[in-house]
Order: sequence, then structure tokens, then C-alpha cells
Amino acid sequence: MKISNIQKVKRNILGLTAVFTILVFLLFPTSLWADGGGDFKAKCSSCHQPHKNSTGPKLFQARQKWSTGGAKEGSIYQWVNNWQTAVANDPYAANVSKWSATAMTAFPELSKEQINGILDWVDAQPDPALAAGGGSGNVVNDPAMEATEEEGGGFWFWVILSIIFFTIILSVGGVRRQLKISVGEGGSDDEQTYLSELKTWAWKYRLPVGLGVLVIVISVIVTIFQGLYRINVVENYQPSQPIAFPHDRHAGVNGIDCKYCHNSVTKSKSAGIPSVNVCMNCHKQINGEGKPFAGEIKKIYTAAGWNPAGAGKYTGNTKPIVWNKVHVLPDHVYFNHSQHVVVGGIDCKQCHGDMTKMNETVKVQPVSELNKIEGNVKLTKPTLTMGWCIECHGAKDVPLGDGKNGYYDEIHRRLRDNDKSLYKKYLKDGKVSVSELGGWECAKCHY
Amino acid sequence: MARKYWKGLEELKETTEFIKHKENEFPSQQTVEAFLSNEKLDETSTGRRDFLKFLGFSVAAATLAACEAPVTKAVPYVLKPENVTPGMPTWYASTYYDGSSYASILVKTREGRPIFIKGNKDFGLTKGAVNPQIIASILGLYDSARLTGPTENGKLTSWSLVDTSISKALKTAKTVSLLSNSIISPTLQKQIDEMSAAFTANGQTLNHIQYDAVSYSAIRQANQQNFGAAIIPSYDFSKAKTIISIGADFLGTWLMATEYVPQYGMTRNPDAKWMSKHFQFESFMSLAGSNADYRGMIKPSEQAAVISYLIKGIGGNCAVSSVLNAQVKNIADQALKSLKSSKQNSLVVCGSNNVSLQLLTNQLNQLLGSYGTTIDLNNDVKLFKSEDAKVIKLANDVISGKGPEVLLFMGVNPVYSLPNGEAFGKALKQIKTTVSFAGFADETASLCSYVCPDHHALESWLDYQPTNNHYAIAQPTIRPIHNTASVIETFSVWAGKSIRLGKDSSTAYDLIKSNYSQILPLGDFAYSTHNSCETVPSNLNVLTPFKNGVLGKLPSASALEVVLYQKSAIGVGQQSSNPWLQEMPDPITKATWDNYITMNPVEMTKQGFVTTYDQEHGLNLATVTVNGKKVTLPVFPLPGQALNTVGIALGYGRGANGEAIGKAAFQTKEYGGHELDDKGGLKPIGANVFRFVSTENGNLQFDTVGSLAKAEGTYAIASTQIHHTVMGRHSIVRETTLPIFTQKGKEAYNPAHTLQKLNKEGHHEEVPNSEFDLWDAHPVEKIGHRWGMTVDLSSCIGCGSCLIACQSENNVPVVGKDEVRRGREMHWLRIDRYFASDEEAAIGQRKNKDTFSYDKAEIAAENPKVIHMPMMCHHCNHAPCETVCPVAATTHSNEGLNQMAYNRCIGTRYCANNCPYKVRRFNWFEYPSYKKFTEVNPAQDDLGRMVLNPDVTVRTRGVMEKCSFCVQRIQATKLVAKKESRMVTDGEFATACSDACPTNAIIVGDWNDLKSAVYSSSKNDRAYQALEEVGVKPNVWYKVKVRNEDNELLSRLQVEKPIAHHEEKKGHH
Repeated sequence: MKISNIQKVKRNILGLTAVFTILVFLLFPTSLWADGGGDFKAKCSSCHQPHKNSTGPKLFQARQKWSTGGAKEGSIYQWVNNWQTAVANDPYAANVSKWSATAMTAFPELSKEQINGILDWVDAQPDPALAAGGGSGNVVNDPAMEATEEEGGGFWFWVILSIIFFTIILSVGGVRRQLKISVGEGGSDDEQTYLSELKTWAWKYRLPVGLGVLVIVISVIVTIFQGLYRINVVENYQPSQPIAFPHDRHAGVNGIDCKYCHNSVTKSKSAGIPSVNVCMNCHKQINGEGKPFAGEIKKIYTAAGWNPAGAGKYTGNTKPIVWNKVHVLPDHVYFNHSQHVVVGGIDCKQCHGDMTKMNETVKVQPVSELNKIEGNVKLTKPTLTMGWCIECHGAKDVPLGDGKNGYYDEIHRRLRDNDKSLYKKYLKDGKVSVSELGGWECAKCHY
Repeated sequence: MARKYWKGLEELKETTEFIKHKENEFPSQQTVEAFLSNEKLDETSTGRRDFLKFLGFSVAAATLAACEAPVTKAVPYVLKPENVTPGMPTWYASTYYDGSSYASILVKTREGRPIFIKGNKDFGLTKGAVNPQIIASILGLYDSARLTGPTENGKLTSWSLVDTSISKALKTAKTVSLLSNSIISPTLQKQIDEMSAAFTANGQTLNHIQYDAVSYSAIRQANQQNFGAAIIPSYDFSKAKTIISIGADFLGTWLMATEYVPQYGMTRNPDAKWMSKHFQFESFMSLAGSNADYRGMIKPSEQAAVISYLIKGIGGNCAVSSVLNAQVKNIADQALKSLKSSKQNSLVVCGSNNVSLQLLTNQLNQLLGSYGTTIDLNNDVKLFKSEDAKVIKLANDVISGKGPEVLLFMGVNPVYSLPNGEAFGKALKQIKTTVSFAGFADETASLCSYVCPDHHALESWLDYQPTNNHYAIAQPTIRPIHNTASVIETFSVWAGKSIRLGKDSSTAYDLIKSNYSQILPLGDFAYSTHNSCETVPSNLNVLTPFKNGVLGKLPSASALEVVLYQKSAIGVGQQSSNPWLQEMPDPITKATWDNYITMNPVEMTKQGFVTTYDQEHGLNLATVTVNGKKVTLPVFPLPGQALNTVGIALGYGRGANGEAIGKAAFQTKEYGGHELDDKGGLKPIGANVFRFVSTENGNLQFDTVGSLAKAEGTYAIASTQIHHTVMGRHSIVRETTLPIFTQKGKEAYNPAHTLQKLNKEGHHEEVPNSEFDLWDAHPVEKIGHRWGMTVDLSSCIGCGSCLIACQSENNVPVVGKDEVRRGREMHWLRIDRYFASDEEAAIGQRKNKDTFSYDKAEIAAENPKVIHMPMMCHHCNHAPCETVCPVAATTHSNEGLNQMAYNRCIGTRYCANNCPYKVRRFNWFEYPSYKKFTEVNPAQDDLGRMVLNPDVTVRTRGVMEKCSFCVQRIQATKLVAKKESRMVTDGEFATACSDACPTNAIIVGDWNDLKSAVYSSSKNDRAYQALEEVGVKPNVWYKVKVRNEDNELLSRLQVEKPIAHHEEKKGHH
């Protein structure tokens, strides 16, 4: 395995950047806006961006703008809590309300500290337009890929080695036979054929030959079965898409929560591909003009029937986008997203990988990638296979009786009160796993 | 004498065929060719070598194909509707009305397509009751034979052309007739009234005639005579302690059966304070008759005598003769006794459409004082407003060429259903403009110059006023699939008040909404739509005090009286192209896909008809002649059919001229394809006996007289009756009488099963079954969930709603007549119907094996008692099927479910062989693709597939399937509970069958929840488990059937327990 010089340099840069970042983090009073980022993503990011106008105006240095613009003291906090109150009290705010016809959602629950936290966080965000070119975000260090390569190399190594050995054996045998013939040792009258010689030889060493044959047969069978198990298992499956949608830009750079677009993930069995009207929430403003990806955004407009000319308007002439499904389960499998996300509390990335770093169209993440995600159980079976599900169900525990879910509290009570020995058996490994509660049963997924 | 139960005459008589077949779980072995056949292979003759080539190729192809994952597309909404979440169902409350059935319903939609209908238990007259026809109507929505747009002379055209021509015709015509079914829509009625007024103003006449194929006009006329108002009152069966029905199948098809069934169910609980006593006097064994406590067999001509006898017995005067035969008199005396004790809490109903009989019925009810208690004259029923005399006149006018210039047909099919429909159809050509609003090019519509197809009921806005004080709304659950239009809009367009607005037109909605604000000025339309109904203020009917009517002609006696009845699945034949309904075994005869002449087997033997039939052996044909019209049908043995009478079901013989009413409405051949007649036309299923309908005093009569002659040949019947026999294991059904139930303990009527074992002293001792166990118990009791079900045999009326609901919910395939005949029906839930005879008073208390004779039971079989028993997978905790599966495809869950993993199954069928309840079904064919099945099942084409439940796998050939306890619903219910951080509440989970049950006979729930209904129900004294002695520990309990009767035989046997019990032990297993 070689690492090119360029890669080395890149790694060094990466390391330096990391150190620098950590220093910056340490120097700044991080606690002040530690929550600000989270609040921004949860409450603001669907309409606002730090450095760019979208549904709402950009928020970078909003406070300065308000105070230099002549707004009353504290008016901006009033605005966030309920913009109508602010409009009534402050002419500057009244002016701001004319920025767009879209009314801002009221956030009465946000305290002044929280709002400051959000705005501090926003002000600390570097402008991506300025940062472009010097970015180090997209370099993906991929030891997994290298590991696979290594494994692959290993396989061919053995194949070549065995071919070499086989050739050597054959040639040695041939030489030996030639020698025998020339010496005249073997047959005076009838010449021994290869086959009969082989038979004699095999009979002479029947124990090792028999064992060897057995080993070969078993390994052939195992190989065939392993091959069969991999039929239709496509790790890294990455179909082409009608729109080159960059997840890293949406979920990563802009910090949009996965559930904002895939909003049925908490309600339904399917996470849902966002309907075009969800895209339009932001892309009504963000048209990408002059950017290389403007064409991609145009495709959304075509689908939504949106004519961006002037103030823009819907023509009603819609055209649904036909996506290619990435995560495809067979018809006889029932999988429910909300079960895993809401009840199981699993984060999207635990099965789908870190989408904030995914700068290409979506693909199925190989299990080796997923194993690197923090908090994931280390699994061995390929992603989206039944073995993968089963493995996780066997390893994951269900917190029982912690008072967090009334359903499991009652299940816990029934188990604890009515069959102590079974409960103890379950708890032998210190946890009650999903499988012990029935997560391995056929009719949990097949009906 | 003791009573014996048997499932079919074959079992009763032990015919050689029966004995031969009863050992076989699957009545016939399928040939290899048939099994391997699929569309492509069947059409080529395949030699062995070719077969191997195919095999080799397909293995290689499959391997190659498997390596390449197919690209699956996903198309999200452009603009997602607010109330739709992909993957989650959306429910709509609506109302069903098809001219004869009415119900408040809930419609389940997935991604915008309706997939399931159930009753609305929270709102409406019908209290959650539905019938098989209503549940199955969802399949009709996706019938590819539906008209896709308006037609002119049979050719598709545009609405604008049709509207122009018809408006012009309407403007110029002097006389216009509108023949419709009973209109209960206030908005539609208003439009018709307005149209009529406009016509009158213009010097034209609009003649609106309402017509029901099965008419109840006599009730209205009798009430006109008695009370001065032509009304049909509301009956309240829940208040009736004594119910006497004279030939009225009020649990099946009579009047507002969906309203009566839950009321009746409430009175059939033996644990309640009182239980109703139900007497039925009838000729044909109807659904109501099969549930009666006492059932008297009478000929239609004897109905008057029975009522007269009761009137006289109560102390009234009646000029009609009251001579009854001994058997009927005996029951009538019991009825009198009961009437005298219940007095005004009695209800007498009569199914006849003879005015005089209805007058007598009213007189009896008046004598009893039922008016005001069980009969409400003020809140009268607005359905069934058939004006028979006017209909007959119109038909005769048309036939004689004196018809109107424009004739409109709405919701009616007179060419099919009129007695002189054929002549009427021929004469239609003479009328300048004929218009039908039918959704199919049916018998009438195909002869009309224009067809303006109405929306399917699930696509349209409608309002209804079924009774005086009840207002209901039907809302669309899907955007119209085809280019159809609401009748309300069509009328509005023709009146020049609005224009066509296409599929998304809101004309009908606007009109209904504005009409609503007039009916309910303070109402909230959105709220009413959400609930689907409202109570509206109503004026009291103007009634005169009771006055005796003048009796006219009563039904006359004859050597052969013919009863025309309706089957609960087919009704008047509106949905005859619905394969779910065609394949639903009739509740009594268990026959599918046919109508037939029902005759008492006693009489059949006398007349030389065979009384047994099976896969190979058909029934004899006979020709019935009524009024010179002939119909040839097989003669079906039906115990309980009154002697000298025969019954024939209406609603069959649809599409006699090959009208495009749907491919499932026609006979199919053994290996696919439709049967064709000599002229190459499609052959209808059964025969149309509407031609036999006669008239009396201007009212259509469904009891008539005729003659019968044996015809040449036999006819194969597909019946589920003799399949899955109980093989004499008589611990399946238990019954008792109310006196025994109330006076004696559980030991008398529901003794626990015991087995003998050696005790410590080495003596034999009787111990409960539960002490014996072959296996370790599954950890299901008390831990986690344990899903259980109880079925109350006392409240189950055998209607078949559960069966159709199950079929709809679980994507159960339709197999067609030929396969049913081979015993390969796929229903996950069947309803076993057991006939009892007086040879054995109760199950398990049989006579000595040596002296017992099956032959003797024949005499009692003349009028047997009936038990309906729904039978589905019992989810045994010691399931015999699980232990024999070689690949562990069927396993037990820790929630007590017997799970079936289709993908594991390799089809050995060991499990079905080992199942004591015979509830497992094998997929012999590729039902979704093989033409033999696609031709009978519209649910298999592109449009029909929309009806499939996306949460349930469509099974493939070669795998077993069975009831899953609706595991998809269990999982969904649990998930809702988990997400809301609470335990599953009782009643939250319902299987499709328990959802559909109109009498709440089926209760399901978490048995480990000690407060649940299912737990307390299973601990009831009446609860027992079928075949308990086998020790499979099922999760299904039945509850002993209690009849409110005095049965001396039964009480003696059940009370004299020791002897009876001892005998049971001797019985073979």
C-alpha cells in the first residue's frame, strides 16, 4: 500500500487544521453559543441562512444591522418572540416586516440569552463565499476503501500462489515421470498413464488425500453458499438521480435537519422523499443564479411549475420528479422508520451514514462505513441484508423500566413480576436485547 | 333420541364418496401438468427435453437476473396533501347506499386509494354494522369493466356532446319519465323536484317513478290503510323480547338489515338480564331462520294462517282460517306463550309483499301494543319507496309503444329485474331518447341511446336521509378514476344551472353544502362530514288512530310454491361481477358461484333427485315453470326447506346477452377462459328468476306458484360445505338452552375436558386436560402480549361479513368455481355451518356407538337447528403445525402468534396435514398471474391491484398461508402505543373480522391485560376451546351457544351428567 506524497501533504494539512480549530474553539467562550448552533438548526435554518438571504434575510451580524439601522434597544428580541409586537413598537421593525410577504413564525419560547446564543453562533460562522477555495471540507480519508483493496489484493495473491504451486506440482510430476520412463524403472511392457499413476498415488496416500478432498469439497460448498448469499446484495449501490442533489450542502453546510425534508420519518414506515413543495420552501429564494448548479435548481422549478421571472409564480403545470430508489427492500419485508427513529431513538446516520459529508448522489453505505459512526454497534453483514438487521437486533438493548417509555415500563413490569427466571436469563449479558423481546421473530417484519 | 350435528348430508349419510374423501385433507391431488402450468407453458406443448431446456435456461436467467438489482423508481408528490402521509392510512367517514343496503362506514385509504371499508361504530344508525356487499363494494371501484366516460349508442364520447343532445331532447320532449331507485338524497330529490316544476311550467310532464327490484310497497300500503300514512316504520329489535318473523330475513336482506343486526345482537347475550326469544316461520331457510330459537316450516300460503292463529291466540278477531299442522301449531303455541309474557315488548315482522299479510301483521302488532315500543311510526324509513303499480304501467306502456319520449334510468336495471324485462328491453328502441346513469354498460344501459355514468359511491359527494330524523353525508375518498360525473352535477348541467367542470368539479359538493345549510341552519358542514351524519329535527308524521284494513287476496296454496329469496352476498345482483361476493359461501348452503333450486332432501329422495354431490358428482337438474316461464337449475338439498316449496335466489343470471358488466360475472372453464354458449356468447352465472316475479294488487310478489319437472343431466356445484369435515370430533361445538344456562352450573353445559391418569395410589383419576403437556410452554402467558380471541356462538349470526373483511384486509386471492369445487378455496376465515338433528341433542352427548344410527337422523334433518361457527387459525401455543415444518417457516412468537414466513416456506404441506382445525391454505397456483384466476378476479389486473393492502405480502405459488391474526394491525397498534409512550389499550387492536362483526361476536385483544375484554370473555363460564382434548392450547376461545328454548332432551342429557359424560368417554376419537 502506497501513500502518495500529495496525500501525505493533505493529511498534514488536515491535522494542522484540526489543531487550529481546536485552539480556536478553546479560545472562544464556546459555552455561550454552544446551544446556539443547535437552536439555529432546529428553529431558524428552514428559513434563514447566516450569509445568504433565503425565505428570510441572512442573519449574519443582524444585531449590528438593527442597532446601526436605528432600531430600539431590545427590539430584535421582541421580533423573534413575536414579530407583530415588535412591528407595533418599533418603526425599524415595521420596516423589516416589509422585507418579504412571508410572515415569520413566532418563537415566544426563546429567551434573550438563547437568541443571543443563536446570533453569536451565526456571527461566528465564516462566509462560505470567502472560504471557498481554501476549504478542506471534502477530503475524505477512506481507510475502508484501502482495507478492501488490501483484502482484494490478498485474494488474488492466494489465487496466483495456488496457480504457481499447481504448475510446480504438475511440472515436477511430469519431470519425475519423464525420469522414470527414461530410467525404465516403471513399466517394462505397459506404460502407466497419468490416471492410473494418479490412482496409485492417491491410494498410497489415501488419508491425506481423503482429508484434502474433504477440505476442498467443504470449501467449495461454503464458497458457493457465500456467493449465493451475496446475490442481489449490492453494497455501495448508487443509482443515478434526475437531480444531482448534494446532501453535504443541505444537511452539512446549511445544517438543515434530516427530518425537515424527510418529515414522515417520525410518522410513517417510510422516511419519504420530500415533495417538491418542501424544496420550494427554500428554493423559491435560492435559485443558484450564476452558480454551476443553477441548472439543477431549475429542474425543481420545472417540477413545481414555478416561473421564477419577476416575483415568481406557480403556473400549475407540475411534473413530478422520478427519483431512483437507493434503499430498496424486498416486498416481503416490512420496515418502519418511525419505529426505529422515534421509539428506538436511532439517528439517521447510524444506518445511512453521515450525510453531511456526502457530496455525491446518495448511495447505500457499506457496513464498514457505518461501523465508524459513533454509537453504532459493530456489524459484519452487508447493509440492508437480513443478517444486518438480525445482528443489530441481537446486540442492541431495549432500556426497560427506566420510566422513559410507558410501553416498555409495562412490558418490564409484566416480565419482572411474572417470570423472574426468564428476566434473569435475559439479563445474563447485562441487557435485554431487541431479540429477547421478540425482535428476531419472523412476523415482526414478514407478513 | 339425541341430537347430532353434521356439516353436510354426505356426512350425515356417510356416502361412499364421503368416506373415501374424508380421509383426505386435500380432496384431490393435482396433476403435475396442472401444477406446473402457467400462462406461457400451458399454451405450448412441452416435451421433457423442452422442459429441461426451459429449466436450464430459467435457472441461468434467474441467476443472471438476480445479480442485477432492478432499478426501483420513487415518485414523491409535487404538492403533498396535508392529510396524507405516505405509508400511513387515512380514514374517511362516509355513508353507503346502493338502493337496498344502507350503512355508515369508515373508508381506509392509502396514498389516496381506498382499500378497506368497515362500519362506523361511533356514529350513524347502523352502529358499525355492515354486510358483505358493503365491504366488498370497494373491489367494484377498481373493476376494469366500468365505463370510462359517457357513451352514445355504445361508443365513448364527450360530456359536452352528450349534454347538448340530452338537454335538447329534454327541452323538446312532451313526456319525460325518470325511473330511479328509491331516492333518499335530499339534494337529488330537490333537483328532481325543481326539474319537475320547470317542466310543468313549460307545459311538459316529468314522471318520476321510484322502483326497487325487491319491493316492500305492501308495508307502506298496509300502513296507509291502518294509520293513514304510507310509511315504513323504524323497527327496534333491541327492545323486542319476543321476535316473530314470518318469512322476513331481517338479519340478511330484509329492509334495513344493517340496522337490525346489531340491535338483534344486543338481545342475544345470555349473560344479560334478558335474552330475546326468536320465532321464525318460513319456507326457505334464511339467515334469520337459521338463528331462530324456534323455526316452523310453512309454505308461503300458510303465512296468513300463522298470523291469524297468533291473533286469535292473543284474543283478537280474524276472519282468516288458522288451521296449522301439528309441527307448526306446536311452535305457534310456544310463540303465543312468549308473546303473552312479553306483550308490548314484542315485534312481529312479515317478509311478504302482500298487502293483506302486512295488514294482518300490523293487526297483531297493534294487539300486542308494539307500536310505540318496538315500532316507531314517527321516525319512518325513507328507503324502499317502490311504486310497483306505476313501474308495471310504465313497462307495459313502453312495450305497447306508448312510452315517454325521453326515459331516464337512475340506479335501476329494469331490463334485468322486471318480470317482463326482456320485452321491455326490446321495446326501448322505440323510445327516442333513453339515458342511463349506470357505471357499467349493464342490461339496461347497453340498450340506452346515452349512458352518463355516475361516479362510484366512493368517488362522489352525496347526502342521504335514511329516516325522518337522520341526515348523512357521503364524501369521496378518491379522485374519480374515470371520466364520470356525479348525477347531481349532470342534473344541474341539464337544467342549465351549471357547467361541466370535469373530474375536480365541486358542483355536487356546493349543492349539497347549500342544501345542508337549509336543513341544518346551525350545522357545521365540516363537522357533520367528519362524523358522516347528524340528527335533524323532524316533523311528526300525521297519523290517524289504528283502523283495521280491508283484507284482499292472500297467497293461494299450490302443489309447488316457489320462494324467490336474496342471498346475503349477491342480493339483487348489483355486484354480480364482484368475485369476492360470488365466492363467498352462502351462509346456509355454503355453495359458491351459483344459484339453484333449494328443496328439502326428504322430498328430493321421494322425487328421485340425488341429495349428495361432490367434486365429480353434480346435482340433478330440474325445470321450474312459473307463469309459463321456465328456468333450469340444479336441485340443491336444503334441510329446513318447507315441503312442497322450493327456493331460488334472485340476483343471478346477470349479463345474459354478454353485457360488459365485468369478467367475474360469467362462467369460466376448467383451465381458464370463459364458457361460451352455442352462439359464442358468454354464459351468465345461474339463472335470472326476476322473470318469475308476479304481481298482486299492483305489488310485486316474490312468493309465487309453479311446477317442477326433472330435467336431463347433472350440474356441478362448488360448495365448501363438505370440505374440512369435523370427522366426528364433536367437542367442537357446544350448545345449551337458556333455562339450563341460568339454572345449572358450568358443569352441565360446558364441562371441562378431563383425562385419566394414575395417581400415587395407582388408581385411575380424572384430571383436567391442562395437566398433560408434551412440550415446554412458550413464554407467552402473562409476559409481554398474548393476543387472543373469543367468538361468541350465541351472537354470531353467520352473515359472512368477517370473511369478506378478511379477504379485503389480507389480499386473499379468488380461485373461481372450479377450484372451490376441488376444495382449494383460499379464505383464511371460514364459517362452519353445522346442522343439528334431534338424533343427538347436544355435542358430545351421543348415544351408544353400537346402537347409534346415522340413518335415523334423516328424519330429523327435515328442519334442523343451525350453528354458525367462524373458524380461523387458533394460534395454538402448542401448535402441531410448527413442529412438523421442516424449514421452520411457521414458528411461534412470544406474543402467542403462530407466524407464517412465506419466504421460508417450501410447500411440503405437512403443517396443513397436522392442523386439527384445517385452517391452513396452500397456494396451488400463481393466483395473481395465471389466466385461470385473472379471468375471475379483477383484483389481478392493473386497476384491480389498487385494492391490495400494501402492508400484506401477496403470496406466491407453492407456499402455505393462513390467518395471521392481522399481525400487520397488531404491529401498527403496538407502534402507535410505543410512540405515545403507553401500553396498548383494550379495544385499540381489532382484527379485520372483529372490526366487521355486526354483533360484536368476535372479541380480540391482549389476553395478558387482565382488564381486557378478551380476558374476561375467555374466563366466562361459557368459554371453551374447540378440540380442547387435543391439547394444542389455542389462543381462541368459543362461547357456548345458548338458545332461548325449552329442550327437554337437551336438559335431560345435560343435567343427567354422569351418564352422558361417561358415554362421551367411550366415544371414539
